[in-house]
Amino acid sequence: MLTIHLLEVEGLTKRFGGLTAVNDVSLQIEEGEMVGLIGPNGAGKTTLFNLLTGFIKPDSGTIKFEGEDIVGLAPHNIVNKGIARTFQVVRPFRHLPIIANVMVALKSPRGAQKIEWLKTMERKAADLLEDVGLSELALEPAENVGHGDLKRLEVAKALATEPDLLMLDEPFGGLNPLETDFLTKSITRMHLDEPSRAILIVEHKLYALMKIVKRVIVLHQGEKIAEGKPEEIAKNKKVIEVYMGKGTHYA
Amino acid sequence: MLIEEIILFGAISGGVYALLALGFTLIYGISGITNLAHGSFYMLGAYMFHILGFRLLGSDTPVSTSFVVLILAALIVGIIGSVAYRLAIHPVLGDEVAVMVVTVCLALIFQQLVLLIVGLTFRDPTPSVKWPPGSFLTTSTNILGVNLENSKILAFAVSLGLFGCLLVFISKTKIGKAMKAVSQDREIAMLMGINTKRLYMLTMALSASLAAIAGILITTSTTYSALAPMWRYPLALSFSIVILGGLGSIKGSLIGGFIIGYAEQTVANTVPQGGAIVGVVPLIVMVLVLLLKPKGLFGKRIEMEE
Amino acid sequence: MVISYVRRAYSSFAAHVFDIPPRLMAFMFFLILLFLPLAGISSSKMSVLIYANIFAIFAVSWDLLVGRTGQISLGHALLFGIGGYSSALLFKYYGLPTWITIPAAMLFSILVSLLIGFPCLRVKGPYLALVTMAVPLIIQLTFKWGPLYSIFGGDTGIRDLPRFFDLILIREQRISVYYLTLLLLFISSVIIYKIANSKTGIVFISILDDEVASKACGINITKYKLMSFVISGLFASLAGCIHAHVLEGVDPSMFSLTISFFAVIMTFLGGIGTIYGPIVGSYIYSVLDSFVLPELPKLLERFNVDITSAFESAKLLIFTLIVLILVIKWPRGVARFTTDKLKDLEEARDLDERGPRIWKTYKKKKK
Repeated sequence: MLTIHLLEVEGLTKRFGGLTAVNDVSLQIEEGEMVGLIGPNGAGKTTLFNLLTGFIKPDSGTIKFEGEDIVGLAPHNIVNKGIARTFQVVRPFRHLPIIANVMVALKSPRGAQKIEWLKTMERKAADLLEDVGLSELALEPAENVGHGDLKRLEVAKALATEPDLLMLDEPFGGLNPLETDFLTKSITRMHLDEPSRAILIVEHKLYALMKIVKRVIVLHQGEKIAEGKPEEIAKNKKVIEVYMGKGTHYA
Repeated sequence: MLIEEIILFGAISGGVYALLALGFTLIYGISGITNLAHGSFYMLGAYMFHILGFRLLGSDTPVSTSFVVLILAALIVGIIGSVAYRLAIHPVLGDEVAVMVVTVCLALIFQQLVLLIVGLTFRDPTPSVKWPPGSFLTTSTNILGVNLENSKILAFAVSLGLFGCLLVFISKTKIGKAMKAVSQDREIAMLMGINTKRLYMLTMALSASLAAIAGILITTSTTYSALAPMWRYPLALSFSIVILGGLGSIKGSLIGGFIIGYAEQTVANTVPQGGAIVGVVPLIVMVLVLLLKPKGLFGKRIEMEE
Repeated sequence: MVISYVRRAYSSFAAHVFDIPPRLMAFMFFLILLFLPLAGISSSKMSVLIYANIFAIFAVSWDLLVGRTGQISLGHALLFGIGGYSSALLFKYYGLPTWITIPAAMLFSILVSLLIGFPCLRVKGPYLALVTMAVPLIIQLTFKWGPLYSIFGGDTGIRDLPRFFDLILIREQRISVYYLTLLLLFISSVIIYKIANSKTGIVFISILDDEVASKACGINITKYKLMSFVISGLFASLAGCIHAHVLEGVDPSMFSLTISFFAVIMTFLGGIGTIYGPIVGSYIYSVLDSFVLPELPKLLERFNVDITSAFESAKLLIFTLIVLILVIKWPRGVARFTTDKLKDLEEARDLDERGPRIWKTYKKKKK
């Protein structure tokens, strides 16, 4: 039986001048899967993100989302097809209050379409803020808000378009243990509320990541070097080498 | 007769336009600054040439001194450019919108200052800018049956010569290579220890000097006088050439300069009273390029919004 | 101390200095303007105020584009001139009355905005600034072309246009024109204000703040940039039309860089991004330019210093220097999402009893 994967990537390659940032990467993500993407710095994770969301064009390879080829589509069109992302370095709209930040995403075609009948945009925005625990700060201008809260805002903005694939780029970056814990719980709850939504998380904080995801993909120097369940990956010799340097043993 | 005129005048225009656009493309490619005061340096060059040449030295100087005057004028305008950069542009460097507002303010300030100073000191608001009379530069040569003023031939030769010098400068000297590095990747260049602030000041000085020389060359061979608002059309030309050739591309400003120079001459010589309507050429080129190939002929990476 | 006061005055004008909501402040400002003529102002001074109103519309429209959407246009005079000339030409060739020519001219300006905006805004780069700066320049030059002289009237332009509205409400014709322009200013600024603070306006600000993030929210930024450009051009052309019929003529100087720069001066004087700021800026500029500064040569005459010849050049120089200093010190001004709109969000009408409990707790906390 032919299965259509939610996301199907084949032979994706991207070069920047002499540097090959992503080298012949292939992966699949199924509906409702929680997948982690890890790898040391410079492994190509953010480049891969940018390729999948249309911010850069690949040199070769295909990307199929819900069976449809999305290479070459503009970023906003990809969002409207159902892929949403957050940014590693937060990108809030500084001059807007928190709730208006979310409203921007709700003004997009998909965002607007997904607003429930009889619900206003403000109400939906308020609900989204509640989901990530930012209701207190709804009217605060984004420029006055702390980093941890802005990280949560990123997630709220991404959720506004009710994506079928949610891509989080280091959502735990710069969060203290309390905030990390809260976000972990939020993401888990998100997954339970919307089981058909797949989530791809890039993260360095492996202990937090491994608890949430069912499958892990490991990148190193632009290539996929391993893939499997979190427990397997943790014991994978190649992966340990890559993270700790050669010659280390995981005792 | 007409064809030869177009060929020759087009070439001459092309050469000086390339020089004019070169400064603009350099400062944009290396520092990302859209210098809307670029035309002002063109204008200042012409005025400086007049002030130094006629006011200070008198109108009967030998040609060789005039060349010195040209170089001096270019240097002074270069200094003005780097001072303007340091005081006005550098503080707002990260913000493209602010840079543009600042440079347009500078352009107007230069214009008004010139008007003021000229109004208060000279009696003549449109001082003459030409080579000393009696020299070979005021005579003409006959090429291909067309009477070409020697000043025009000189303008052509100097422009291309300077262009070539600059290419050598960029590829062979340390500073030139630093400029090239910064234009390709600012962050890496900074990591390599290149002092971008000083480099930008230098680039600005260079860009302004080139514009000044272009101003002197064009004025001494065509209009023979300077006018405070004369910076506007050269600015529009620079935009057009650089968009056509590709923002930041040196090759582009050369080829673009010639294409527009030729297009202008063709229009000027074929359309009745073409001289006045010649302005639509850069305009149409700009719009066409943006519609068909926004990168320009040799433009670097450009992102489409869509 | 002085600088921080000036800064506060230039940023959210009323909200910081007087602690009054900007909307109320703007309303009070309009009230003052409404009763101004009753204070007995001479006809010539009234002309200054009329032009202040016209350029206020012009500047406010520029602010929407630059202050709220972050797209810089340095040729706003283009649409100003197109508005004026379109209306003039429709009158010249078809003898249509102003209430037809002006809306028609405005519609035409939409077309022009799309033609110019589309190639420039869909690509990343300084193209809008470059093209908007070059186009009016070249139009001005082109008007000198012989064959077009009969149509456009060359340097003298087209004269003897009909008066704006032949209403003689009061004996003083100028006063009725003043009130008319004031009314149009009020309507225009309310419309632009409403757009700037609508959900579309929120998207505009998102483009101003972070284009990439806006794209990542699914927004087609080219579409919104074009929208902003077209709306901005619409009102600029309206200003041009009014100008044409108040002055009863059009000429190529309507396309000049100086006029484009007026928008810059007035907006920065009043506070960029505020929408009401440019109105104040327009008045500040007009008052300074026509009433205050001319006193200077007269003053200096007493000391036998004659600067009248250089004076015109000096005036523009001074204003440009002021703008330069303002931009260097406060480059991004304030594109503040006005505090009034925040209050509206708070009192969102959709809240029913079973609304998110969080809202209720939040409201209680605020009080």
